[in-house]
Amino acid sequence: MTLTGRTALLAALGSLPVGILVPGWIGMLAVNVPLALAILCDYALAAPVRTLQFTRSGDTSVRLGETAAVQLTVTNPSGRPLRAHVRDAWPPSSWTTDAERAAARHACTVPAGERRRLTTLVRPARRGDRRAERVTVRSFGPLGLAARQGNHHVPWTVRVLPPFTSRKHLPSRLARLRELDGRTSVLTRGEGTEFDSLRAYVPGDDTRSIDWRATARQSTVAVRTWRPERDRHILLVIDTGRTSAGRVGDVPRLDAAMDAALLLTALATRAGDRVNLLAYDRKIRTQVRGRAAGGDVLSTVVGALAPLEPELVETDARGLSKAALASAPHRSLIVLFTGLDAAPIEEGLLPVLPQLTKRHTVLVAAVADPHVETMTHARGSVDAVYDAAAGTQTQAQRRGTADQLRRHGVVVVDAAPADLAPAVADAYLALKAAGRL
Amino acid sequence: MTGTTTAPTGPPTTSVSRTPRQIWRRVQGLLLAVLVLVVAGITLAAVNSDGGHGRLDPRSTDPYGSRAVAELLKDRGVPVDVVTTLDDATGAAGPDTTLLVAGPNVLTPYQRLRLREATDGSTGRTVLLAPGAPAVDLLAPTANAARSVPVAARPAVCDLPAARSAGTADMGGIRYSTDVREATSCYPHDGLPSLLVLPGHGTGDTVLLGSPDILYNDRLDQQGNASLALQLLGSRPHLVWYLPSLTDPSATEGGPAGEDGDDSSDEGVEGESGFIGLIPSGWLWGTLQLALAAVLAAIWRARRLGPLVTERLPVAIRASESTEGRARLYRKANARDRAAATLRSATRVRIAPLLGVSPRDAESPEVLLPALSARLTTPAGDLTALLFGRAPADDAALVRLTTQLDALEREVRTS
Repeated sequence: MTLTGRTALLAALGSLPVGILVPGWIGMLAVNVPLALAILCDYALAAPVRTLQFTRSGDTSVRLGETAAVQLTVTNPSGRPLRAHVRDAWPPSSWTTDAERAAARHACTVPAGERRRLTTLVRPARRGDRRAERVTVRSFGPLGLAARQGNHHVPWTVRVLPPFTSRKHLPSRLARLRELDGRTSVLTRGEGTEFDSLRAYVPGDDTRSIDWRATARQSTVAVRTWRPERDRHILLVIDTGRTSAGRVGDVPRLDAAMDAALLLTALATRAGDRVNLLAYDRKIRTQVRGRAAGGDVLSTVVGALAPLEPELVETDARGLSKAALASAPHRSLIVLFTGLDAAPIEEGLLPVLPQLTKRHTVLVAAVADPHVETMTHARGSVDAVYDAAAGTQTQAQRRGTADQLRRHGVVVVDAAPADLAPAVADAYLALKAAGRL
Repeated sequence: MTGTTTAPTGPPTTSVSRTPRQIWRRVQGLLLAVLVLVVAGITLAAVNSDGGHGRLDPRSTDPYGSRAVAELLKDRGVPVDVVTTLDDATGAAGPDTTLLVAGPNVLTPYQRLRLREATDGSTGRTVLLAPGAPAVDLLAPTANAARSVPVAARPAVCDLPAARSAGTADMGGIRYSTDVREATSCYPHDGLPSLLVLPGHGTGDTVLLGSPDILYNDRLDQQGNASLALQLLGSRPHLVWYLPSLTDPSATEGGPAGEDGDDSSDEGVEGESGFIGLIPSGWLWGTLQLALAAVLAAIWRARRLGPLVTERLPVAIRASESTEGRARLYRKANARDRAAATLRSATRVRIAPLLGVSPRDAESPEVLLPALSARLTTPAGDLTALLFGRAPADDAALVRLTTQLDALEREVRTS
């Protein structure tokens, strides 16, 4: 049971007759007994909350930054009309602004025996799963003096997917891929390419690509075309350990790595390669086998990445390499999204790296911090110079670590969050062109 | 057919509020505990209620009641009237009357003054039971109260006939002194009596009794208590037993400021009631109703529309935090040497490729410096000291070194 502002207002107005007409206990009783009776009647006449029935429908996933609509259907099986305030409670990060949060409180009227649909708009501020908490109903009586209040648990989950902002780079990379593809004979025969087809000679084609034997059989000059090998294996390994929790700008490194992983997935699937995914810190956080996922690998990977959160533990590099080897039975390109901090790489990754590089091509992608870059350019005061020295030191260490990795035959991509995805895609295309997959 | 019938059930309820049955089950234990507490409280109160209840009441048969002495007096033809208000007590005071004030200490100063006004003029007897110093000052101003002593069987040691015939009695308690010659002092301890009879107007007198023990039911039959009590209380044909009570309207009159006399007391009375009396009662009642409205508003605002929703927050660590920490450490330790070495090394590594020097040779002055001087058109000071020199001596030198390194790099890039 709860009261309303109207009750308090009536009680306050009651002070006029009490004060002016009948000061005394008689007046107090004359005002407050009817008021109390009205409150009790109102409470008794309010539609019951417990018997209400709720069902949900609507979006189950949304990209970060976009709005999802979740419908809540209220059925009023009682014989009394429901006049209610309904609060559809979700975790606080389900909305970005206070106005959106306030919009999740609905005022609704449901006549007896009917149902109404309420729409809650959710625009989450963070990636991950958002679970509807509970529905609170405050059912007012016909006079609006008192209300019944109760809660209902109506489960629903909206999965907030990574924003995949780097998909704007996809068209240009696909164009590059088509260039690589054997529809032109620009690409000559080489390692990592396979024979595609014969086609008529067009002036400008390399004369070395003319297939004389085929030309002899036909009346026109035929050239051989080559295309990059297809059906290569790519394993994306995302390190979800403590180094992935650090925020660059206001986004964790993990999210930048995911963005790059998504672009690479999209690109590689188009290129006809098979993409597997592994997220690891001390155990396997998530795993996607591209072949098993069927047609839409990208959406499977997006769904698998959505609920990942950085764990504040040191990554077990030995276990990571073991898991990677287990999920890459064929010769693969292993793309490892991790940090370039000296200690974890030197003590963790370097000792196990030979196992990986023995059979596979390894690409290490790391998120650099633009703030460190700006620190190195700080000048003018002693503090600024110390900032610059510390920033330079960090960069030198990263460069040293990257050089160490390169000496093991690893391709290293170290880029700021905004540039990481295209840089990794370019490195992939370069490897593909060089036939190193 | 008596097969099982399934009730027509709708979809399973989603309600998480408690049903009345659940609420009842939850509060059952609490109600039981409250019930036990109340019963225990009442029982304890009943068991322990022998104390002050009915103390010195002539109708009470408790050990500390005084029904026995009242009955004895009645048998001897002295009727006992119990009064509980001051008006009744003062009205009954007369020449043929003994007025027993059972609790002079609980009277308000105003009541004491009125009581003295009434008894001063009468020729009857006034018996005050164990009045303390404030009560003595107003009720019997000619006497003074002294430190109390334990009650014990004491000899009379005086000429008062009642005391002499009673002999030893349970006396003690508060002792009194007086300068009045005609006063009779009995049952002394250390020279001060616990029974003092002060002569009053005409045949009237005032009896100060240091302790009321002789009147208690369970002490009356000991020593000469009964004899003393009967003689003290039965000297007049009528006994008025005044038991002060809180419901007496005179207890709220006069207020606390009545000690200094009638005049100031009257002023005090007017000052107290004047402030409240000046406000029209409508305002008071209206304000009371407004307070009620405020309570209702508080209930309205206090109820949330559903509980707070909690959420596991992600960790927020800036990736550059360790770098910034290192910068602060440099500053704290004044690590000019390290800072300078780092900056110089970075500059060497950056300019080496521009000069056609391999990165491996960037650290060796023999290779780098000649290449650098060959590149620069204008000699830019001491390059050895700039690129391979000592650590700067102070902060200003460090800042200057940074500026010079930047200038050198710019020059190499533009040359």
